[in-house]
Amino acid sequence: MSILLPTRLRLGLGALAVLALSVVVHVLVILAIPRQATHSSYSEAATFGPDRQFNLLPPLRAGAEPLPGLDPAMKHATCRYQLDNGPVLFTASVPVPFWSIGLFDDTGEVIYSLNNRTAGSDILSMLLITPEQLSILRENPPEDLDKLIVIETRASRGFALLRALSPAAARDLEVDLALKTAYCGSFS
Amino acid sequence: MNLAENPFAKDISGRAAPHAVSPRGNDPRLYSAAWERAGHRVSQGLRPEPRDLIESPARPLRSLAFLMSVLGLGTVLGIGSAALIVERERPFATTSIGPWSASPTAGTAEADPYSVAIYTRSARVPLALGEGLALTAYTDSVGQSLSPACTYRITGSTPTARMWTLSAATAKGEMVETLAGRTFLTSLGLLRADDGTFTVTASRAPSSGNWLPLARQPQALEGLSFTFRLYDAPVTTGASLEGAVMPRIEKVACR
Repeated sequence: MSILLPTRLRLGLGALAVLALSVVVHVLVILAIPRQATHSSYSEAATFGPDRQFNLLPPLRAGAEPLPGLDPAMKHATCRYQLDNGPVLFTASVPVPFWSIGLFDDTGEVIYSLNNRTAGSDILSMLLITPEQLSILRENPPEDLDKLIVIETRASRGFALLRALSPAAARDLEVDLALKTAYCGSFS
Repeated sequence: MNLAENPFAKDISGRAAPHAVSPRGNDPRLYSAAWERAGHRVSQGLRPEPRDLIESPARPLRSLAFLMSVLGLGTVLGIGSAALIVERERPFATTSIGPWSASPTAGTAEADPYSVAIYTRSARVPLALGEGLALTAYTDSVGQSLSPACTYRITGSTPTARMWTLSAATAKGEMVETLAGRTFLTSLGLLRADDGTFTVTASRAPSSGNWLPLARQPQALEGLSFTFRLYDAPVTTGASLEGAVMPRIEKVACR
């Protein structure tokens, strides 16, 4: 190599090789991060309490944010679920001008989301179910199935994030209670 | 085989006996001229330098060092550039209105690999489209980076939404300590002008009217960002954001 190529050409080829290699490494690193991330929002959600129930997130404070990037004006509750133990039913009644719920899979991708206007009523009742479980359920449907928002998903693990806006500090306790008593669990 | 008929013979002889290329004096021009006289076509740019013409003994260590430095540099540059983008925690915006930018696809199956990496690494939960849309500004309307030591005036109106909140945070989106203890304003208790527009003053010290408190102890390195979260807004897709109007951000004073 040192004999056959002129110095300038050698340096140029070297720079080109560095550039090509760095592009490949850059792309590989970016694509590998989601697989290697040790603390995902799904695993963080476990720190707030047991699975399959809504856990109120501690108030958002500087330096002690339960999850990054949440709206400081809102109150939040999360529920982590696994669909292997059967479908998950979400019910909540939050007496505030605005609330919304987002369902995310274990990679943090949105499965479904709605707010209190698109829910059609002030009471949330939503069933998250895998296609296999739904076909079993349809053979012997419960009476109130048509009153539920039924969402099919193939992701067997995930979490729900319920956001509610407390209209005034005086109503904080009431909102906290409504979030805490929101139901997330098995459907029977 | 007759060497004279071999078209490569000249090359071979030239390489095998480089000292035949008249190393008289040290003038590089003499070398390359002699090289050309020997029948080699040499383009101007690739004219060999004298040290390339003299056959040197093989230097395996030098070649190895060269190869290793190429590998090392490429890896460091690749990882470094990826880390810079991910640590900045600023997903590539797909739509922007003035200084306000939004990435409505973040957290969905259509998200770009960069925002997927940023969101999973920081354990951030996106605002889903059925909930609302978050628009973040890192610069004022003139294009200057926001500084937590300055006072800003945010004037105008937002796209239609059932309600919105405006919050101030560091450039990475972290909350800061403020004098008022809150870092946000909501549209519920907002003072508006007759035409429905509003003026928000973002400053460290309390201000009359709509006051958005900024960090009590501003750290210039942490930076500043404003985020509008429009809840239950019809503008939840990038296409319908076109033509939407967002408030202006003007710097009032710095200290």
